Amino acid sequence: MDTAALMIRNVNLSYQDGLIVDDVTLGLKPQELGCLLGPSGCGKSTLLRAIAGFQELDSGEIWLDNELLSTERHRIPPEERGVGMVFQDIALFPHLTVADNIAFGLTGWSETSQYKRIAELLDLIGLTGLGQRYPHELSGGQQQRVALARAMAPKPKLLLLDEPFSGLDTELRGRLASEVRTILKSDGICSLLVTHDQREAFDFADRIAVMHDGHICQFDTPFNLYHEPTDPFVAHFVGPGEMIDATIEGPRSVSSPLGLLTNDEDLEYPINSDVQIFLRPDDLIHDDDSSYQATLVGKHFRGAHHLYEVKLDNGVILGCLAPSHHNHTIGELIGVSLDIEHLVVFPK
Amino acid sequence: MAITSNHQSVRWAFNRPNGLLLTTIIAALCVALPILVVVSFVITGVSDAWSHLFDTLLGRYALNSLLLSILVAIGVVMLGVPAAWIISFYRFKGRGILSWLLLLPMAYPAYILAYTYTGVLDFSGPVLTFLRDAGAPDWLMSPLLNIRSLPGAALMLSLVLYPYVYLLARAAFMEQSANLMEAAYTLGQGRWRVLTRIVIPMARPAIAAGTLLAVMETLADFGTVQFFGVQTFTTGIVRTYYGFGDPVGAAQLSTLLLGCVFFFVVFEKASRSKVRYYSDRLRKLNQTSVVLTGWRQTVAQILCILPVFFGFLLPTGILSYWALFFAEMQSMWSLIVSSFFLAGFASLFIVMVALVICYANRLYPSQWLNHTTTFVGLGYALPGVVVAIGVLIPFGAVDRFISSGLAPFGVAPSLWLSGTLVALVFAYLVRFLTVATGNLTSGLSRIRPSIDQSGRLLGLNQFGVISKLHVPLIRGSVFTAILVCFVDILKELPATLILRPFDFNTLAVKAYELAGDERLVDASVPSILIVLVGLVPVIWLNRSVTQE
Repeated sequence: MDTAALMIRNVNLSYQDGLIVDDVTLGLKPQELGCLLGPSGCGKSTLLRAIAGFQELDSGEIWLDNELLSTERHRIPPEERGVGMVFQDIALFPHLTVADNIAFGLTGWSETSQYKRIAELLDLIGLTGLGQRYPHELSGGQQQRVALARAMAPKPKLLLLDEPFSGLDTELRGRLASEVRTILKSDGICSLLVTHDQREAFDFADRIAVMHDGHICQFDTPFNLYHEPTDPFVAHFVGPGEMIDATIEGPRSVSSPLGLLTNDEDLEYPINSDVQIFLRPDDLIHDDDSSYQATLVGKHFRGAHHLYEVKLDNGVILGCLAPSHHNHTIGELIGVSLDIEHLVVFPK
Repeated sequence: MAITSNHQSVRWAFNRPNGLLLTTIIAALCVALPILVVVSFVITGVSDAWSHLFDTLLGRYALNSLLLSILVAIGVVMLGVPAAWIISFYRFKGRGILSWLLLLPMAYPAYILAYTYTGVLDFSGPVLTFLRDAGAPDWLMSPLLNIRSLPGAALMLSLVLYPYVYLLARAAFMEQSANLMEAAYTLGQGRWRVLTRIVIPMARPAIAAGTLLAVMETLADFGTVQFFGVQTFTTGIVRTYYGFGDPVGAAQLSTLLLGCVFFFVVFEKASRSKVRYYSDRLRKLNQTSVVLTGWRQTVAQILCILPVFFGFLLPTGILSYWALFFAEMQSMWSLIVSSFFLAGFASLFIVMVALVICYANRLYPSQWLNHTTTFVGLGYALPGVVVAIGVLIPFGAVDRFISSGLAPFGVAPSLWLSGTLVALVFAYLVRFLTVATGNLTSGLSRIRPSIDQSGRLLGLNQFGVISKLHVPLIRGSVFTAILVCFVDILKELPATLILRPFDFNTLAVKAYELAGDERLVDASVPSILIVLVGLVPVIWLNRSVTQE
């Protein structure tokens, strides 16, 4: 914990109409790129506003680099926190040029070091030479990169990004998320992104905190969130998948409608207890040679692969990935087999 | 884990400067004062003159006000909607110029138009002399001779008030998405059906809002009806106050008028709340407009030029002609100086108060503050006559109180408040505060909260956010607010007439006095000055609208 750059401890936040953030604890390491991922209304933006200093705490503490920023009684004003922020609506100052926007937070810097910093950042965001333009003369993606540069310019200890890509079109969104990640990594700046878009979160973050109803359900790497969710909400929110009923057979084995499944480590459930296991479409693969047959009831062509929906004997419908050229028709019986190393098991 | 908190750096983040909130409350009380004063007389019982009023004059006032309102409502719709329709949906030569020429009659106070046409249509004047010589028939001559009548007043008011309807209807037509119309065409509807079932119904709230604004101005009008001898509520109030020396009766008449106005305010708000069904993201209708040629083009041009011609070009030509060649005016300069000084000082003061209110709303948004601001907005709907009476009565009472208090010290009784510019500026504040808050709110609302927050995170405190970000961003809105207030004050007649200090004259009052003495040609000088200054915001606002 000593190494944490941002430390949020037992924070409660509320508006007049009730609790928005409920006892959240979260830490970011120096230079780490974190993300708060959750559906709208889960409290992620409110938490971000509290870190920036725009929202009062009901209880708890927020620390940044061993400095206490907020408690329920004290709040360092936003301008003294050393926190930068990029906004959803970009919020560039319309009456200032790109260079002046970037220089806005550089009060107390000598003129030469301001010029240097502006040039450096324009290079970093790939807008070299556009410093004298006005915000309205830039495209949406360019504007958002300038907003990023403006927030980074005073070298904040922490950078907050509040759904910064959601105003842009889908194609640009994914590209910009990875671009921003590269820029922030090269600068080594600790950052926290808020988004409701799972792909954006995967493109951007080292670790993602999935939020739901004011709680953090799981804080983990993108890989683990997808493959080892510890919470049914996370399992469903991060990518597609279905629950099926199963029973614990042995320390590592589970019997299911798809047969006996084996885990790579011991399961923490008593023998014979009823559980649910969570299967992603990439756990169930189409295999013409498999002896287990299921009825094809839906298909979605995705270019590089097919996403099939197959119906098992007991009526359960699961997603199933198939190679792009395996083109079957709906109603057909196709062979499927499981490709699982780690079982995701939840109590029933 | 030993993290020591540095209590020096941790500070209370809340230090609320309550001056903002206090000013807002005081402003609300100022607006409330004339209303409360006037309405309070309903409870105090019936004045002696009231029963006489009720028996003889009240019915006439009410009937004339109602008739005038109806005629003006018809007039502004007939002048404003076709023009808006043609400008929005068709392309023809002169469309660009006509689209803003149609706004120019807004620069005219109705009473100036009334003076001008009365002068032009004088029995021995050029028009009627020409018609008589040409042997024009009686049915043509008599309405022209009788311009000083209720229909004549309705015509004058319609000619200057139709731009409200034109502006709102044009905006509504142009904002309508082309997709909706095209969707209707693809569903097999003809042009006429699309017009009557899609376009007009969607613009109806805007047309209604514009018409109601015009009707409210009509109810508030004093100069025109007074000059034309049409007895309405406003002339009745002044007559009861001065003629019969009966402030109670005047206040009670004011309450009746207020009731009517309030009724229309509620209606206007209701129709305006429906004005926003259009989406601004979609393709705009005016991009698909039809090009007109030949006789159709001529018809469109004539329909658009008629309101401008009679509402602006003709009277301005006549006024300029009189002012340049015939008018005799002494002490013109002192009149200009005193008018501009008064309007300039009052509009600066009003905008300052408005700025405080807008900031109170932005920094400490709350339900009651929002309601208070809405209430302050009612001031603009108060007829100038009512504001004047509502200010005069309490200020006069304060004067008498001060005088009686000072009498033992040998100080002669005097008008400490009611006969001074304080009363006048106070009345202007009540009446025009909304004009300023409206302009400033729209300017401030364009500055999104994230702009403020960015400023804070980049090292500015709240004061820095205002001085470095807001000031440069709302400079234009502040200027517009001052300009619009300035012109409104310059045009305002009844409140100025009733509340001005003894011997203090403004352009509007001078025009009124000269016209009252039948010196219509001499009245042209102050009149044309008011109109010329009034043109500035009309052109300025139209320019900023088209730029956006």
